[in-house]
Amino acid sequence: MEITAKQLGQTTVVSIVGSVDALTAGQVTSFLSVQVRNGQRQLVADLSQVDFMSSAGLRAILIVLKESRQQGGDLRLAAAQPRVENILKMAGLTSILKAFPTLEKAIVSFGS
Amino acid sequence: MSIRRQITLAAKLESLPRFREMIDAACPLQPGIDEQTCYDLKLAVDEACTNIITHGYASMNPGSIILALDIDPRQVVMAITDFGHAFEPAEAPMPDVQAALEDRPMGGFGLFFIYRTMDEVRYETTEAGNCLTLVKRLQSTREEK
Repeated sequence: MEITAKQLGQTTVVSIVGSVDALTAGQVTSFLSVQVRNGQRQLVADLSQVDFMSSAGLRAILIVLKESRQQGGDLRLAAAQPRVENILKMAGLTSILKAFPTLEKAIVSFGS
Repeated sequence: MSIRRQITLAAKLESLPRFREMIDAACPLQPGIDEQTCYDLKLAVDEACTNIITHGYASMNPGSIILALDIDPRQVVMAITDFGHAFEPAEAPMPDVQAALEDRPMGGFGLFFIYRTMDEVRYETTEAGNCLTLVKRLQSTREEK
């Protein structure tokens, strides 16, 4: 699993490549938490290259979502593959966070 | 045609990708297994093995996990055996997936996913170890119901 961040204006796009399971979820949580602690309020997780996610990945997303909102920011998801999107829905995450079909839409959503 | 595969790995988080790879390699051999079903199988095994690694072998030397895969045109049967503490999955509480973010538990989705994706979940503890059996019926069988 690889995770990188890039800054696009006010928005930080975090790209995750590979599988997010109990082995790698801690790395996702700590990487995203650092962005929140560094004062990044507009976070987008680009999931387009995540081929597998388990409940450990959902837990990572929930932890950072909570941290971000407590700081007045938000974590939004972009371009999840259909199987990953399916587990987000199954766990009811799509009702408490914003998920977009493309990275562009997720980035633009912060401007509107 | 039936396909049988078995693998024994150390009960470490580093083994999780290898359990999933075994399922990934076997799924294309059975025409009735589509991509969603293959993901469901990997998810259920990943969650079950994660529970064994983090809870089953807690406070004891990590042992091994045996995954036996049995695929025929009607169903996929996955038997996961470990030698750690026993754990009855049916007694575990399920998370509230409707709850607001502030009320939402951070964990507990693992078993929830196992029960949501599998058609049958059985658990048995004997002197030979703990065995969790997960059964997923294939599409052709489900349509006949």
